[in-house]
Amino acid sequence: MSHSACFHCALPVDPRDTYFVDIDGQQQPVCCPGCKAVAELIRDTGMSNYYALRETPEPGVGRPADDAAEWQIYDSADMTAAFAEGDDATAEATIYVGGMYCAACSWLIETSMARVAGVESADINPVTHRLRVRWRRDEVGLGGVLATLANLGYDPQPLAPESAARPELLEQRAALKRLLVASLGMMQVMMFAIGLYAGDFQGMEPSMQRFLRWVSFAVTTPVVFYSARPFFTSAWRGLLARSPGMDLPVSIAVGSAYAGSIYATLTNATAVWYDSVVMFVFFLTLGRFLEMRARHRSIDRSVALSNVLPNTVTLVDGDDRRTIPSNQLVAGNVVLVRPGESIPADGVLVDGNTSVDEALLTGEATPKAKAPGDELVAGSINLDGVIRMQVETTGADTTLGTISRLSERARYARPAYVQLADRVASYIVIAILVVAAVVGTYWAIAAPDRAFVITLSVLVVTCPCALALATPAAFAAAGTRLAQLRLLVTNGNAIEVLARTRRILFDKTGTVTQGSPAIDSIEILDEGYAEQEVRQVAAALETVSTHPIARAFALPQNDRVATDQQVAVGRGVAGTIAGQEWRLGRADYVGADTDEGGIYLGFDGQAVARFQVSDQLREDSAKTIERLGELGLASGLISGDSVAAVEQTAVRLGIADYHADCSPEQKLDLIRSLQDSGEAVVMVGDGINDAPVLAGADASIALAHGAELAQTSADILLVGNTLMPVATAVDIARGTLRVVRQNLAWAIGYNSLALPLAALGYVPPWAAAIGMSASSLIVVLNALRINRFGAS
Amino acid sequence: MNVLYILIPLALLLLAGAVWAFFWAVSSGQFDDLDTPAMRVILDDDKKPPEAEDS
Repeated sequence: MSHSACFHCALPVDPRDTYFVDIDGQQQPVCCPGCKAVAELIRDTGMSNYYALRETPEPGVGRPADDAAEWQIYDSADMTAAFAEGDDATAEATIYVGGMYCAACSWLIETSMARVAGVESADINPVTHRLRVRWRRDEVGLGGVLATLANLGYDPQPLAPESAARPELLEQRAALKRLLVASLGMMQVMMFAIGLYAGDFQGMEPSMQRFLRWVSFAVTTPVVFYSARPFFTSAWRGLLARSPGMDLPVSIAVGSAYAGSIYATLTNATAVWYDSVVMFVFFLTLGRFLEMRARHRSIDRSVALSNVLPNTVTLVDGDDRRTIPSNQLVAGNVVLVRPGESIPADGVLVDGNTSVDEALLTGEATPKAKAPGDELVAGSINLDGVIRMQVETTGADTTLGTISRLSERARYARPAYVQLADRVASYIVIAILVVAAVVGTYWAIAAPDRAFVITLSVLVVTCPCALALATPAAFAAAGTRLAQLRLLVTNGNAIEVLARTRRILFDKTGTVTQGSPAIDSIEILDEGYAEQEVRQVAAALETVSTHPIARAFALPQNDRVATDQQVAVGRGVAGTIAGQEWRLGRADYVGADTDEGGIYLGFDGQAVARFQVSDQLREDSAKTIERLGELGLASGLISGDSVAAVEQTAVRLGIADYHADCSPEQKLDLIRSLQDSGEAVVMVGDGINDAPVLAGADASIALAHGAELAQTSADILLVGNTLMPVATAVDIARGTLRVVRQNLAWAIGYNSLALPLAALGYVPPWAAAIGMSASSLIVVLNALRINRFGAS
Repeated sequence: MNVLYILIPLALLLLAGAVWAFFWAVSSGQFDDLDTPAMRVILDDDKKPPEAEDS
């Protein structure tokens, strides 16, 4: 058997229990009936191209959920009203599609949605993973739409309309329109300008010259009043706030050149500057557009929160059970939570035994046993028992809500270097205005007829355009480059911090470790059994369990088969293998004489073997720490786990600086004290308990398959299962800053050469505009070099 | 050269038409996604299901 990974979801395939699908004439192995169904669906609808074009998935991504949710609930009028908007005939909703990971996914989703009868349109944004879908109410319902997505192996989450509003989309539309008006306007006016300049040399009829000037005026007017409008409003706001920004000299240059050109057109003066105006506005608008695109790559918080909590809950009212949207829950309600579902609110367990995974909140990977009377926390996942809980607090008052507020607050208390950049810009702007005024005054006395032209040239030449582009262009290119390496930058400042930092702190669980348990060691207690044998027995027993620990026991190949398996919630599993009843679980469940921790295997009250299960290190953790060391960074480990566990991990990774048993507050304190000593701290983590810590660090990187909330307070999201991109990111960030410095040096060098020439009257406005554009272009081209950084 | 007095206003009219068409396209959401279209070119979605061919 050469294939061992599932063709659809890349999980290991059990050779005893393999399913096959015929894709393009080849038998491909899949791991389960669910993946088989999805793969066949994709094939039968003629979309098997998807497999050729997609990127290799993370194992398990795209595997359909075992307990297919009851999507019909969403067809009810109540639920449709909660998530969709529209008129009597059609409805429109935004759906967050979990589990999509590449552009081929968006193609698959759009194509399959288009084939659903009643769906009018479906557009997916591969960056934000949001599907905007519109359907005819009498042909299909929200439930049908969601079921289609679920059948393809995705995890759809309808979003409430308020969290689906997209102000950044409107901003992008407006910016595109402005950019187009500016670029078309520039092309036209430049064409007329060439005619006018040719006329200057070869001679031109005065009527034709006047005509071309008036036509230029007609085309320039919308460019000034439409495309350049944001510069005027922003300059005005800056004036009102008494902190003049880059936009003030821009506005003065554009406004005065435009007004001066109109005056010259009316009076038939020797020159007009419409070409300078449009070229200037075009390059500025282009710069702003690129900067905006980089900014929009951030992922908004509402999606993350709605992803952690369930959308619907099963309300228990006496004998009556109803499904209601979870935002209608109030304190005192009793809800039913099935295995695999997440706890919708904070409350108390009233009926049933289970264990819950609170890794989101505590970072602790080991599930916690819960009995009636125990507290349950919103966002944790119910693992193995059907339980009823009484709701105590909901929404923003829950532990989850508090933590997300905490991270929100930490986010606003950002270090001050951002404001410093703004202040420096103000000084530059004031300096430009002073220089222009001095030059203007001098020439007004020395040669009044040339004063306007020369002042204009000074303003255009000293335009901080290249200066303004120097940083955003480099950062936008760095963002693109990092995205190719599966690092999504949501805050450009992080790149600067990453470049100058000397200290990087890692969370343990789920960051340097895989976050899922695996077998560490096997101790044979009964000499009659071989390690291979007990391993297979344990694997056979665990095939029925959905507990995360069961995954640690799974074997790709197993000769033994267990029957009559039974799960004892929170204690272990039992089953019959070759006529013998085996038990696997806690010491008292198996009947071992002594309990040394770990998981016991045995039969008839005799322990045969003891398994030590722990969280495994990521494959490249040690290599990443080593590489960071080569780059001159000190790595630290900071965790809420016990001292022993953290110490062991630190030693294996070669980290000398580690802190165990830390609450989120203590982690934050540690970061603050490092920051007080003047260090820039980068934090790499995952889990909601890390969210405030991530937001408090100077720059933060979150592993994106962890708790979604942590991602949103992070400056950079790391998608994928490797840690190495963190080190590569440091490399790229340093390269980016090098490019920024080169760009700034170039822009300043150009300005300091051009300014005296312009002030002395040697540079006409058109040459100033060309010089300015060329210098901007060089800055942008230099920034594009970043796309080749970090390739090894 | 007098033909320019007609051709240039004509060009401006065409320009206005192009701007109007682009504004309409942007407002109807055709430019909302600037990432996938680059990918879409290399996908052909009219591939027939394999059963139709071999069995």
